[in-house]
Amino acid sequence: MKILAKDKVAELLEKIAQQAEVYVPMAIEQGSGFYPWTEDNKNQPLLLDALNVYNSPKYILFPQTERMYDLKQQGQDLSIDQTHEDSSPRVIFGVRACDARALRSLDDVFLTRGFEDSFYKARRDNVTVIGNACYAPGANCFCEAMGVDLTEPEADVILRDAGNDGYIWESKTETGDKLTRAVAEFLNDKETKAPEAKSFQTQVDYDGVAEKLKGMFEHPLWEKMAEPCVNCGACTYICPSCHCFDIQVKMWGDSGYRFRCWDSCMYAEYSAEAGGGNPRPSGVERFRNRFLHKLEFFSERYGYSLCTGCGRCTIVCPAGVRITDIIKAIKEVDSSVGL
Amino acid sequence: MSDCNCEQPLVPHIVEVIDIVEETPDVKSFYVKSAGGGLPYQVMPGQCSMLSLPVGEGMFSCTWQEGQEYQQYAIKRVGLLTEELHQIEVGQKLGLRGPYGNGFPIAASRGKDMLFIAGGIGLAPLRSFIKHCFKNRSDYGKITIIYGSRSYNDLCFKKELFEEWPNQPDTEVHVTIDNPEEAWKGHVGFVPAYVEELAPDPAGKVSVTCGPPIMIKFALQSLQKLGFEDEQIVTTLEMRMKCGIGKCGRCNIGSQYICLDGPVFDLTQLKQLPQEW
Repeated sequence: MKILAKDKVAELLEKIAQQAEVYVPMAIEQGSGFYPWTEDNKNQPLLLDALNVYNSPKYILFPQTERMYDLKQQGQDLSIDQTHEDSSPRVIFGVRACDARALRSLDDVFLTRGFEDSFYKARRDNVTVIGNACYAPGANCFCEAMGVDLTEPEADVILRDAGNDGYIWESKTETGDKLTRAVAEFLNDKETKAPEAKSFQTQVDYDGVAEKLKGMFEHPLWEKMAEPCVNCGACTYICPSCHCFDIQVKMWGDSGYRFRCWDSCMYAEYSAEAGGGNPRPSGVERFRNRFLHKLEFFSERYGYSLCTGCGRCTIVCPAGVRITDIIKAIKEVDSSVGL
Repeated sequence: MSDCNCEQPLVPHIVEVIDIVEETPDVKSFYVKSAGGGLPYQVMPGQCSMLSLPVGEGMFSCTWQEGQEYQQYAIKRVGLLTEELHQIEVGQKLGLRGPYGNGFPIAASRGKDMLFIAGGIGLAPLRSFIKHCFKNRSDYGKITIIYGSRSYNDLCFKKELFEEWPNQPDTEVHVTIDNPEEAWKGHVGFVPAYVEELAPDPAGKVSVTCGPPIMIKFALQSLQKLGFEDEQIVTTLEMRMKCGIGKCGRCNIGSQYICLDGPVFDLTQLKQLPQEW
């Protein structure tokens, strides 16, 4: 098997960075996330051993704000001069299984069902994902319950931390093979073993929840569960799979550009209509829509849950809302009560 | 589902406004064609387009296109974008992208009697189907149109409503306004109640309803009371939309996106979905 020695990681990143923008999990100041491997960032600590980073790699394929096209208005004339699909080659290094699953859900949203989003596609077609298998799930992790195999990130290459022997380097796709050939000088052949995965500290039983939720839209449980929620939207911004966006414009006089930016179903404006109506007028309806989207609607549409069990929303929520508690409550409640 | 294969579905075509007609004090019809001439694309009755000025984009059901060299959109002034649209003049260039959504069940309705029920600006989307039926008159049976607005002034497409459509063969047009007016000799009252009063026979009919959400809800109840089966009850819905292609999230009812899976649903489909529209 191919092995990447731990003291070769920086050199390997350096080599890849000659051909592509490389994003690596790092801690910078107060935050952590996937940052570009640049001169400025190289000296920051790489977080390959950490369980996961605070910000997921979502923004690399689906930026928080993304310029779409330039607009010019002169008198009655309107023109679109340039569109901004970004097809630069990129490599994301060290993606955990939960975040890799989230990228698959973004693929399903943006690239299937009749329309391919050209902005997402340009980025997606030119990205190589290097996964980092997990063997010791953290306190808030529950990916396995959501159908994710922690040791098999859906990626082009999988790294497996074999301790002092280095990382086992497993190419999974043609894109992965191509990258493997390009960095062959840093890989050596050696037989070693990946560790045994430890068991999950957080136990969640999602089996049958999506099906049970079908009959629970009007259940009184939603009001109770939504009570602490302040609709701040932090969960939606930190979520690796939340994909909702707004389309807005920035104009300076006659010229400017249209862009999209992450939006949140937690906000009233998200679904507020020009005529004054809003199908989700209060926080309870917005809370219900978010969790139904994660736990029921997405799986009805695409065949798997939109929650990947990464646990980030539980960490950031200022009100103590835990999606694991919600799953548990749904699992246990009598779905016919109050209906 | 739309079969649009456009390579950049979020980037609009540029179209030119070739005519503007004031339908009511707050509804104008905009006639558009490609800036280079001709149609930007074919849109079927019930399908929608995203129309834009720099200030923003908005989703509008196409009011008429079939067989024409232009598309017509009847637009009510209600918000930021529509306020600006109502200020523009002929010759203005706009952004336009689409077509979006599934459209009306034109083929499935062939050979049936048609019942159209509309409130206010809700006649704009239905008009494309109504005119399609008149254009292909022998494909459809009896046509009944029940339409209401707040006042006489707010009734859209008055010439068609009072002069053209009632004179079509085997066609009935029933118009109502919400409150009495001195000069108005017609029916007064809300659309759903008027539907029940007229009590159209469900046999062999397809009903198609569009209007404000509250009117749609009551009209669907009225139709059920009259004995219409769920699959005979068709409606077209609207919610706030941004992308139009089922990605941006906001126009969902349960797992369905109005922009992509709708906007046209029958009651069988709606009953599978949460009551959140």
